[in-house]
Amino acid sequence: MGESTHKILVVEDDRQIQSFIGYALEQDGFSYLSANSGHNAMSFLISEPIELLLLDLGLPDCDGMEIIKRVREWSDMPIIVVSARDQDREKAAALDAGADDYLTKPFSATELLARIRVAIRHLRRQSGEKPQAVYQVGELKIDIEKRLTYLQGEELHLTPMEYNLLALLFKNCGKVLTTQYIIREVWGVGYGSDTQALRALMAALRRKIEKNPAKPRYIVTEIGVGYRLVDE
Amino acid sequence: MAHKNQIKTALLHLVIVLALLLSAAGIGYLLRGLGLPEANIVIVFFLAVLLTPLLISSYAFAILASVLAAFLFNFLFTEPYFSFAVNAPSYMITLFIMSIAALLTSTVTFHARRNERSAKERELESRALYALTNLLTDAKTFPEIAELAADTISKSVCAGAACLCFDENGKPEDSYIQCLPGQAVRRRTEDASDILQRLSDLDAGFVAGPVFYDWPIYAKDSILGLIRLPKEKAQRLSPAQVRILRSMIESTALAMDRFRASLQRIRLHEETVQERYRVNLLRAISHDLRTPLAGMMGTSEMLLGMTDSSDPRYSLMEGIHHDAGWLHSLVENILSLTRLQDGMLAISKQMEAAEEILGGAARYVMRHHLGYDIEVHAPEELFLVPMDAKLISQALINLLENAVKHTDPPGEICVSVEEDRESRSAVFSVRDRGSGIGGADLPHIFELFYTSHAKESDSRKGVGLGLAICDTIVKAHGGTIWARNRTDGPGAEFVFSLPLEEENHG
Repeated sequence: MGESTHKILVVEDDRQIQSFIGYALEQDGFSYLSANSGHNAMSFLISEPIELLLLDLGLPDCDGMEIIKRVREWSDMPIIVVSARDQDREKAAALDAGADDYLTKPFSATELLARIRVAIRHLRRQSGEKPQAVYQVGELKIDIEKRLTYLQGEELHLTPMEYNLLALLFKNCGKVLTTQYIIREVWGVGYGSDTQALRALMAALRRKIEKNPAKPRYIVTEIGVGYRLVDE
Repeated sequence: MAHKNQIKTALLHLVIVLALLLSAAGIGYLLRGLGLPEANIVIVFFLAVLLTPLLISSYAFAILASVLAAFLFNFLFTEPYFSFAVNAPSYMITLFIMSIAALLTSTVTFHARRNERSAKERELESRALYALTNLLTDAKTFPEIAELAADTISKSVCAGAACLCFDENGKPEDSYIQCLPGQAVRRRTEDASDILQRLSDLDAGFVAGPVFYDWPIYAKDSILGLIRLPKEKAQRLSPAQVRILRSMIESTALAMDRFRASLQRIRLHEETVQERYRVNLLRAISHDLRTPLAGMMGTSEMLLGMTDSSDPRYSLMEGIHHDAGWLHSLVENILSLTRLQDGMLAISKQMEAAEEILGGAARYVMRHHLGYDIEVHAPEELFLVPMDAKLISQALINLLENAVKHTDPPGEICVSVEEDRESRSAVFSVRDRGSGIGGADLPHIFELFYTSHAKESDSRKGVGLGLAICDTIVKAHGGTIWARNRTDGPGAEFVFSLPLEEENHG
């Protein structure tokens, strides 16, 4: 863990949360900076080599959504949103604006660290020169070049739509994808917002890859927000 | 007195008839003097007969005039003069025709006069009614409406009319307003139960009391008040007056009803605003609680990680962590409740995949309660159920946490859903292998703040918000929830069903 020098910016105005997050990050070998306001955060983001942003949406001086939008103008750094709001619309809006993941307060340190590790892994993968051709999570493997999928080494027979959905989830492994984003990517822009079709497609896909589709190991539902391919 | 008046008018009418006929006779002589034929004289008499009904509005006198005219003409102008004998039979015919014509014309005139009079009455009626309606629209208070109605009726129908209002529970008020000529008086209501008693066996349009005749003012399904007319005057009302009285009561009823309805709307609106304020306050507080809770839970978790489990400080910190977790689930439940109250009129149901909701709830509980493995069973086919996903998730989480609380890890907890084709509903079930539910607790288990008396002196555990919220959530969906002990061994089972068909919540 010592070799991990990723610099994480923690934007949080509550002192108690700030300090326990800081401690947890230190324990796990991450280095971090703390900002307690949007203004503060922006100046760190500009002057320091930040690699991951942990952002509280409810800041005293500005809306966290603004920061997400501005960061996305120049950087692909992973953004994990922390929020006391549980309004689904706001979560979805933050994710659609470019956030990679979200945590609702209160959350456990274990959970936070797990999400950070996933985001970092994702970052490493992306920084590789050419896009990855083969992904694997657990017993599930996908070969993007050959358009083939395997479960426990056996080839899976997926319909083109099921394949597209699974490939999309794999490319964004560990990240929460909103329902709207998935529909746009799988069906195309003009398709509207028919969540029913996505539910049916997801159910079909799960029946091919999950032992118990109601207790999924790979694709979990983020109720009211979207889906995530679990990368654990 | 009235009798005398009648004689007086009769005499006056007789004088008019005689004067008319005598003038006709005078003109007749003049015409004969001028040597004009008798036919002209007949016309003059005819004219006199025609004039009678125009001057006197009495049928009897019109007939009298025509008969008298015939005899007078006969007496004065036919040979032999000054006798009622007639030489030429043609005169008899002339006289007969004259009588018939006089009768006919007087009948026609009489009818015309009567029509004119009733038209005038109607016009007065509608004018009075219009004036009343106009006044009532501007009325600002309920008593004002009552006073205006009493005043108008007093002026245009029956002096001394009064109006007694009923309150919103259908009980007469303590006093009523009476409009005597020149002044309005407030009087104490006699025995209210008497009035109600009389009203209950109402059969005509009004109720005859000892002092007043009472005419009820009805709204669609309630009584708004009474229009009271002094007994003697009410007895002598003409049909026309009764008609106008009814119309006036009708418009008073409309005005009163409108007033009550708008008052109710305002009150309802105020209540909604207050309720919304309360809900918003509760939501804001719960939201603000999350941040310090996050700090407490995170910090205690970190401290636990730094402490050896044999250290006595470990269990102290565990206590903090556990309590913070308990507060957290309370906050989540309160937030669900505010969500529910906010949208009580229309929870937003959408077709959701039941398996996803089940899986999500199980995942959440397993993440928060390590060491438990929850079984999840859903139908082989994709099963879509109309629901508010967040709320049903919360309900399942509450039931699962309740199961976790009563079962030691790894437990044998199972959550399932299946379709009941017969009742067209989705049946969700959470089963555990705990100690089950005490018989005394079973009927109350879904009541707000019900605490089991059976065990656990730990009062925090018992605050029954979680199950009560399940109950509220399920009912808001139009479903039912129940609990029972398992028959296949120890443990409890909580079941709720949600209708699959969208019903109209209205």
